[in-house]
Amino acid sequence: MERNEILKQIQEVFREIFSKSDMTISEITSPVEVEEWDSLNHIQIVVALEKKFKIKFTSLELQNWRNVGDIINSIQNKIKN
Amino acid sequence: MNNYFSQILDIIKKQNPIHYKRLNKMLSEQDSEFTIRAEKFFTQYVNYLNKNGKTLNYAVDCYLKMLADIAYEHIKFLESGKYSSSSFNEVLQRVYSNPQVMEYYMHGLLLSQFLWEQHYQILKFFTKGILQRKKQINRYLEIGAGHGLYISEAINLLNKDTLFDLVDISETSLNMSKEFIDEKERVNFYKEDIYQYNKLSYYNFITMGEVLEHVEKPLELLLKVNSLLCEGGEAFITTPTNAPAIDHITLFSNVQEIRDLMKKAKLEITEEVVLPSEKVTEEVANELKITILYGAFVKKI
Repeated sequence: MERNEILKQIQEVFREIFSKSDMTISEITSPVEVEEWDSLNHIQIVVALEKKFKIKFTSLELQNWRNVGDIINSIQNKIKN
Repeated sequence: MNNYFSQILDIIKKQNPIHYKRLNKMLSEQDSEFTIRAEKFFTQYVNYLNKNGKTLNYAVDCYLKMLADIAYEHIKFLESGKYSSSSFNEVLQRVYSNPQVMEYYMHGLLLSQFLWEQHYQILKFFTKGILQRKKQINRYLEIGAGHGLYISEAINLLNKDTLFDLVDISETSLNMSKEFIDEKERVNFYKEDIYQYNKLSYYNFITMGEVLEHVEKPLELLLKVNSLLCEGGEAFITTPTNAPAIDHITLFSNVQEIRDLMKKAKLEITEEVVLPSEKVTEEVANELKITILYGAFVKKI
Protein backbone atom coordinates (compact mmCIF):
# COMPACT_ATOMS: atom_id res chain seq x y z
CA MET A 1 0.00 0.00 0.00
CA GLU A 2 1.34 3.47 -0.82
CA ARG A 3 2.32 5.81 1.98
CA ASN A 4 -0.27 8.39 0.93
CA GLU A 5 -3.05 5.85 1.16
CA ILE A 6 -1.87 4.75 4.60
CA LEU A 7 -1.69 8.39 5.69
CA LYS A 8 -5.29 8.95 4.52
CA GLN A 9 -6.49 6.01 6.59
CA ILE A 10 -4.54 7.13 9.64
CA GLN A 11 -6.09 10.57 9.22
CA GLU A 12 -9.56 8.98 9.30
CA VAL A 13 -8.68 7.31 12.57
CA PHE A 14 -7.34 10.55 14.04
CA ARG A 15 -10.47 12.45 12.98
CA GLU A 16 -12.63 9.91 14.75
CA ILE A 17 -10.54 9.62 17.92
CA PHE A 18 -10.17 13.39 18.29
CA SER A 19 -13.72 14.13 17.06
CA LYS A 20 -12.38 16.62 14.49
CA SER A 21 -13.85 15.93 11.06
CA ASP A 22 -11.60 18.50 9.39
CA MET A 23 -8.34 17.43 11.02
CA THR A 24 -5.43 17.20 8.59
CA ILE A 25 -2.20 15.39 9.36
CA SER A 26 1.06 14.85 7.55
CA GLU A 27 3.99 12.49 8.03
CA ILE A 28 5.68 15.00 10.33
CA THR A 29 2.65 15.48 12.56
CA SER A 30 3.69 14.56 16.08
CA PRO A 31 2.03 14.60 19.52
CA VAL A 32 3.79 17.91 20.14
CA GLU A 33 1.49 19.65 17.65
CA VAL A 34 -1.70 17.83 18.60
CA GLU A 35 -2.67 18.84 22.11
CA GLU A 36 -5.23 16.07 22.56
CA TRP A 37 -2.80 13.34 21.46
CA ASP A 38 -2.08 12.02 24.94
CA SER A 39 -1.37 8.54 26.29
CA LEU A 40 -5.07 7.71 26.67
CA ASN A 41 -5.93 8.68 23.09
CA HIS A 42 -2.74 7.05 21.87
CA ILE A 43 -3.91 3.63 23.05
CA GLN A 44 -7.21 4.19 21.25
CA ILE A 45 -5.31 5.19 18.10
CA VAL A 46 -3.22 2.02 18.24
CA VAL A 47 -6.28 -0.20 18.78
CA ALA A 48 -8.11 1.50 15.89
CA LEU A 49 -5.12 1.19 13.53
CA GLU A 50 -4.67 -2.50 14.39
CA LYS A 51 -8.33 -3.06 13.57
CA LYS A 52 -8.28 -0.98 10.39
CA PHE A 53 -5.15 -2.57 8.91
CA LYS A 54 -5.72 -6.01 10.46
CA ILE A 55 -2.27 -6.03 12.01
CA LYS A 56 -0.72 -6.25 15.50
CA PHE A 57 2.06 -3.95 16.61
CA THR A 58 4.87 -5.13 18.85
CA SER A 59 6.02 -3.21 21.92
CA LEU A 60 9.26 -2.40 20.11
CA GLU A 61 7.30 -0.73 17.31
CA LEU A 62 5.20 1.21 19.81
CA GLN A 63 8.38 2.41 21.50
CA ASN A 64 9.81 3.89 18.31
CA TRP A 65 6.95 6.13 17.17
CA ARG A 66 7.77 9.84 17.25
CA ASN A 67 5.42 11.06 14.52
CA VAL A 68 2.90 9.89 11.96
CA GLY A 69 5.71 9.00 9.54
CA ASP A 70 7.01 6.43 12.04
CA ILE A 71 3.52 4.95 12.28
CA ILE A 72 3.34 4.69 8.48
CA ASN A 73 6.73 2.92 8.46
CA SER A 74 5.45 0.33 10.94
CA ILE A 75 2.24 -0.23 9.02
CA GLN A 76 4.00 -0.49 5.66
CA ASN A 77 6.48 -3.04 7.05
CA LYS A 78 3.70 -5.12 8.50
CA ILE A 79 1.55 -5.05 5.38
CA LYS A 80 4.58 -5.98 3.23
CA ASN A 81 5.27 -8.99 5.43
CA MET B 1 21.66 21.12 42.17
CA ASN B 2 21.94 18.62 39.33
CA ASN B 3 18.38 18.95 38.06
CA TYR B 4 18.17 15.37 36.96
CA PHE B 5 14.44 15.70 36.33
CA SER B 6 15.14 18.22 33.56
CA GLN B 7 17.82 15.98 32.09
CA ILE B 8 15.40 13.07 32.07
CA LEU B 9 12.74 15.23 30.41
CA ASP B 10 15.19 16.32 27.71
CA ILE B 11 16.04 12.71 26.87
CA ILE B 12 12.39 11.68 26.82
CA LYS B 13 11.39 14.68 24.66
CA LYS B 14 13.49 13.33 21.77
CA GLN B 15 12.19 9.79 22.03
CA ASN B 16 8.62 9.85 23.27
CA PRO B 17 6.81 13.16 22.69
CA ILE B 18 3.53 11.90 24.18
CA HIS B 19 5.12 10.96 27.45
CA TYR B 20 7.19 14.13 27.45
CA LYS B 21 3.99 16.22 27.30
CA ARG B 22 2.55 14.32 30.23
CA LEU B 23 5.68 14.65 32.35
CA ASN B 24 6.13 18.32 31.54
CA LYS B 25 2.56 19.03 32.63
CA MET B 26 2.99 16.92 35.76
CA LEU B 27 6.18 18.70 36.73
CA SER B 28 4.56 22.12 36.29
CA GLU B 29 1.91 21.15 38.85
CA GLN B 30 4.31 19.96 41.56
CA ASP B 31 5.59 21.91 44.54
CA SER B 32 9.08 22.40 45.92
CA GLU B 33 8.72 19.39 48.23
CA PHE B 34 8.39 17.19 45.14
CA THR B 35 11.44 18.78 43.51
CA ILE B 36 13.56 18.22 46.61
CA ARG B 37 12.44 14.60 47.07
CA ALA B 38 12.74 13.79 43.36
CA GLU B 39 16.22 15.26 43.06
CA LYS B 40 17.39 13.39 46.16
CA PHE B 41 16.08 10.13 44.75
CA PHE B 42 17.50 10.74 41.28
CA THR B 43 20.88 11.67 42.76
CA GLN B 44 20.98 8.34 44.62
CA TYR B 45 19.86 6.58 41.47
CA VAL B 46 22.50 8.22 39.26
CA ASN B 47 25.18 7.26 41.80
CA TYR B 48 23.91 3.69 41.63
CA LEU B 49 23.97 3.80 37.81
CA ASN B 50 27.50 5.20 37.74
CA LYS B 51 28.73 2.54 40.19
CA ASN B 52 27.42 -0.06 37.76
CA GLY B 53 28.90 1.56 34.65
CA LYS B 54 25.55 2.84 33.39
CA THR B 55 24.25 6.28 32.42
CA LEU B 56 21.04 8.22 32.82
CA ASN B 57 20.46 7.80 29.07
CA TYR B 58 20.56 4.05 29.57
CA ALA B 59 18.09 4.28 32.46
CA VAL B 60 15.66 6.38 30.43
CA ASP B 61 15.90 3.90 27.54
CA CYS B 62 14.92 1.18 30.01
CA TYR B 63 12.02 3.27 31.28
CA LEU B 64 10.70 3.94 27.77
CA LYS B 65 10.99 0.26 26.91
CA MET B 66 8.95 -0.53 30.01
CA LEU B 67 6.35 2.04 28.94
CA ALA B 68 6.11 0.44 25.51
CA ASP B 69 5.60 -2.95 27.17
CA ILE B 70 2.84 -1.50 29.32
CA ALA B 71 1.15 0.07 26.29
CA TYR B 72 1.37 -3.25 24.46
CA GLU B 73 0.00 -5.14 27.48
CA HIS B 74 -2.79 -2.59 27.82
CA ILE B 75 -3.88 -3.06 24.22
CA LYS B 76 -4.01 -6.84 24.69
CA PHE B 77 -5.87 -6.31 27.98
CA LEU B 78 -8.53 -4.12 26.35
CA GLU B 79 -9.13 -6.88 23.78
CA SER B 80 -9.13 -9.86 26.15
CA GLY B 81 -10.21 -8.39 29.50
CA LYS B 82 -7.42 -10.43 31.14
CA TYR B 83 -3.79 -9.97 32.08
CA SER B 84 -1.47 -11.81 29.71
CA SER B 85 0.04 -13.90 32.54
CA SER B 86 -1.98 -15.75 35.13
CA SER B 87 0.54 -17.80 37.06
CA PHE B 88 3.74 -17.18 38.96
CA ASN B 89 5.54 -19.76 36.82
CA GLU B 90 4.70 -17.80 33.69
CA VAL B 91 6.11 -14.53 35.04
CA LEU B 92 9.07 -16.38 36.51
CA GLN B 93 10.00 -17.61 33.02
CA ARG B 94 9.03 -14.45 31.22
CA VAL B 95 10.46 -11.89 33.63
CA TYR B 96 12.16 -12.90 36.88
CA SER B 97 14.42 -15.57 35.38
CA ASN B 98 15.16 -13.47 32.32
CA PRO B 99 18.11 -11.17 33.16
CA GLN B 100 17.65 -8.97 30.07
CA VAL B 101 14.02 -8.28 30.91
CA MET B 102 14.70 -7.86 34.65
CA GLU B 103 17.46 -5.35 33.91
CA TYR B 104 15.34 -2.89 31.97
CA TYR B 105 12.22 -3.55 34.00
CA MET B 106 13.90 -2.79 37.35
CA HIS B 107 15.40 0.44 36.03
CA GLY B 108 12.06 1.42 34.50
CA LEU B 109 10.22 0.83 37.78
CA LEU B 110 12.80 2.84 39.68
CA LEU B 111 12.33 5.89 37.47
CA SER B 112 8.54 5.55 37.65
CA GLN B 113 8.66 6.29 41.39
CA PHE B 114 8.90 9.99 40.61
CA LEU B 115 7.84 10.11 36.96
CA TRP B 116 4.40 8.69 37.69
CA GLU B 117 2.37 11.11 39.72
CA GLN B 118 0.31 8.40 41.43
CA HIS B 119 3.47 6.85 42.87
CA TYR B 120 4.50 10.15 44.37
CA GLN B 121 1.01 10.92 45.70
CA ILE B 122 0.79 7.56 47.39
CA LEU B 123 4.22 8.06 48.96
CA LYS B 124 2.96 11.35 50.41
CA PHE B 125 -0.18 9.62 51.72
CA PHE B 126 2.02 7.00 53.37
CA THR B 127 4.32 9.60 54.90
CA LYS B 128 1.41 11.52 56.43
CA GLY B 129 -0.16 8.36 57.80
CA ILE B 130 3.06 7.01 59.31
CA LEU B 131 3.65 10.30 61.11
CA GLN B 132 0.15 10.16 62.61
CA ARG B 133 0.80 6.61 63.84
CA LYS B 134 4.30 7.24 65.14
CA LYS B 135 3.54 6.56 68.80
CA GLN B 136 2.08 3.10 68.08
CA ILE B 137 4.95 1.80 65.94
CA ASN B 138 8.16 0.24 67.21
CA ARG B 139 8.29 -3.02 65.22
CA TYR B 140 8.07 -2.34 61.47
CA LEU B 141 8.10 -4.88 58.66
CA GLU B 142 8.26 -4.17 54.94
CA ILE B 143 7.28 -6.94 52.50
CA GLY B 144 8.91 -6.54 49.08
CA ALA B 145 12.14 -4.57 48.93
CA GLY B 146 11.44 -2.50 45.83
CA HIS B 147 12.99 0.95 45.77
CA GLY B 148 13.35 1.39 49.53
CA LEU B 149 11.43 4.67 49.54
CA TYR B 150 8.76 3.65 52.03
CA ILE B 151 11.13 2.15 54.57
CA SER B 152 13.43 5.18 54.20
CA GLU B 153 10.50 7.46 55.06
CA ALA B 154 9.61 5.25 58.01
CA ILE B 155 13.20 5.26 59.32
CA ASN B 156 13.24 9.03 59.01
CA LEU B 157 9.95 9.57 60.83
CA LEU B 158 9.68 6.85 63.46
CA ASN B 159 11.38 6.71 66.84
CA LYS B 160 15.06 5.80 67.04
CA ASP B 161 14.37 2.57 68.94
CA THR B 162 12.09 1.18 66.20
CA LEU B 163 13.02 -2.24 64.81
CA PHE B 164 13.01 -2.43 60.99
CA ASP B 165 12.79 -5.74 59.14
CA LEU B 166 12.59 -6.14 55.36
CA VAL B 167 11.66 -9.39 53.62
CA ASP B 168 12.01 -10.24 49.93
CA ILE B 169 12.33 -13.54 48.11
CA SER B 170 14.81 -11.99 45.65
CA GLU B 171 18.44 -11.27 46.53
CA THR B 172 18.61 -8.89 43.55
CA SER B 173 15.72 -6.84 44.92
CA LEU B 174 17.21 -6.76 48.41
CA ASN B 175 20.57 -5.61 47.07
CA MET B 176 19.02 -2.95 44.91
CA SER B 177 16.93 -1.57 47.77
CA LYS B 178 20.07 -1.20 49.89
CA GLU B 179 21.26 1.40 47.39
CA PHE B 180 18.30 3.62 48.21
CA ILE B 181 17.62 3.03 51.87
CA ASP B 182 18.92 5.79 54.11
CA GLU B 183 20.47 4.38 57.29
CA LYS B 184 20.41 0.83 55.94
CA GLU B 185 22.40 -0.31 58.96
CA ARG B 186 19.16 0.04 60.94
CA VAL B 187 17.39 -2.54 58.76
CA ASN B 188 17.47 -6.34 59.07
CA PHE B 189 17.28 -7.78 55.56
CA TYR B 190 15.77 -11.23 55.13
CA LYS B 191 15.95 -13.16 51.91
CA GLU B 192 12.91 -15.30 52.49
CA ASP B 193 9.56 -16.36 51.11
CA ILE B 194 7.02 -14.33 53.07
CA TYR B 195 4.76 -17.35 53.41
CA GLN B 196 7.55 -19.12 55.35
CA TYR B 197 8.40 -16.05 57.45
CA ASN B 198 7.33 -16.82 60.99
CA LYS B 199 7.50 -13.81 63.27
CA LEU B 200 3.80 -14.28 63.96
CA SER B 201 1.81 -11.63 65.87
CA TYR B 202 5.02 -9.62 66.17
CA TYR B 203 4.74 -6.40 64.20
CA ASN B 204 2.69 -3.32 64.99
CA PHE B 205 3.15 -2.03 61.44
CA ILE B 206 3.62 -3.69 58.04
CA THR B 207 4.11 -2.02 54.65
CA MET B 208 3.40 -3.95 51.47
CA GLY B 209 3.50 -1.77 48.37
CA GLU B 210 2.38 -3.16 45.00
CA VAL B 211 2.87 -6.84 45.81
CA LEU B 212 -0.70 -8.20 45.75
CA GLU B 213 -1.02 -7.99 41.97
CA HIS B 214 2.10 -10.15 41.59
CA VAL B 215 0.76 -13.19 43.46
CA GLU B 216 -1.68 -15.88 42.42
CA LYS B 217 -3.55 -15.91 45.75
CA PRO B 218 -3.75 -12.38 47.15
CA LEU B 219 -6.16 -13.41 49.95
CA GLU B 220 -3.58 -15.88 51.26
CA LEU B 221 -0.99 -13.12 51.29
CA LEU B 222 -3.29 -10.72 53.12
CA LEU B 223 -4.08 -13.41 55.68
CA LYS B 224 -0.34 -13.85 56.15
CA VAL B 225 -0.01 -10.10 56.73
CA ASN B 226 -2.77 -10.34 59.32
CA SER B 227 -0.98 -13.23 61.06
CA LEU B 228 2.26 -11.24 61.31
CA LEU B 229 0.53 -8.28 62.95
CA CYS B 230 0.15 -8.08 66.70
CA GLU B 231 -3.25 -7.23 68.19
CA GLY B 232 -4.29 -3.78 67.01
CA GLY B 233 -1.45 -3.73 64.50
CA GLU B 234 -1.79 -1.83 61.26
CA ALA B 235 -0.58 -2.15 57.71
CA PHE B 236 -0.19 0.04 54.64
CA ILE B 237 -1.05 -1.83 51.46
CA THR B 238 -1.12 -0.61 47.87
CA THR B 239 -2.14 -2.31 44.65
CA PRO B 240 -3.55 -1.16 41.28
CA THR B 241 -6.71 -1.97 39.35
CA ASN B 242 -6.73 -2.62 35.59
CA ALA B 243 -2.94 -2.47 35.42
CA PRO B 244 -1.66 -4.89 32.82
CA ALA B 245 2.10 -5.38 33.06
CA ILE B 246 4.52 -8.11 32.12
CA ASP B 247 4.56 -9.52 35.66
CA HIS B 248 1.07 -8.79 36.97
CA ILE B 249 -1.01 -11.88 37.62
CA THR B 250 -4.01 -10.90 39.75
CA LEU B 251 -6.46 -8.52 38.13
CA PHE B 252 -8.52 -6.23 40.33
CA SER B 253 -11.21 -4.73 38.10
CA ASN B 254 -12.22 -2.05 40.57
CA VAL B 255 -11.34 -0.77 44.01
CA GLN B 256 -14.32 -2.48 45.68
CA GLU B 257 -12.77 -5.88 44.86
CA ILE B 258 -9.68 -4.84 46.83
CA ARG B 259 -11.80 -3.59 49.74
CA ASP B 260 -13.76 -6.85 49.78
CA LEU B 261 -10.52 -8.85 49.91
CA MET B 262 -9.25 -6.79 52.85
CA LYS B 263 -12.48 -7.55 54.68
CA LYS B 264 -12.11 -11.30 54.01
CA ALA B 265 -8.57 -11.10 55.42
CA LYS B 266 -9.94 -9.41 58.56
CA LEU B 267 -8.15 -6.17 57.81
CA GLU B 268 -10.32 -3.13 58.48
CA ILE B 269 -9.68 -0.14 56.21
CA THR B 270 -9.11 2.96 58.33
CA GLU B 271 -7.87 5.36 55.62
CA GLU B 272 -7.62 5.01 51.88
CA VAL B 273 -6.65 6.85 48.72
CA VAL B 274 -7.87 6.17 45.18
CA LEU B 275 -5.64 7.56 42.41
CA PRO B 276 -6.69 7.14 38.75
CA SER B 277 -3.72 7.36 36.39
CA GLU B 278 -5.60 9.79 34.15
CA LYS B 279 -7.57 12.84 35.22
CA VAL B 280 -10.93 11.07 35.29
CA THR B 281 -13.30 9.95 38.04
CA GLU B 282 -13.11 6.49 39.56
CA GLU B 283 -16.28 5.52 37.70
CA VAL B 284 -14.94 6.60 34.30
CA ALA B 285 -11.61 4.88 35.09
CA ASN B 286 -13.42 1.60 35.79
CA GLU B 287 -15.54 1.91 32.67
CA LEU B 288 -12.57 2.63 30.38
CA LYS B 289 -10.27 0.25 32.26
CA ILE B 290 -7.89 3.04 33.18
CA THR B 291 -5.45 2.06 35.91
CA ILE B 292 -6.19 3.21 39.45
CA LEU B 293 -3.56 3.01 42.17
CA TYR B 294 -5.20 2.18 45.50
CA GLY B 295 -3.62 2.55 48.90
CA ALA B 296 -5.01 1.92 52.36
CA PHE B 297 -4.07 1.87 56.00
CA VAL B 298 -5.73 -1.19 57.48
CA LYS B 299 -6.09 -2.49 61.03
CA LYS B 300 -5.97 -6.11 62.16
CA ILE B 301 -9.38 -7.24 63.49
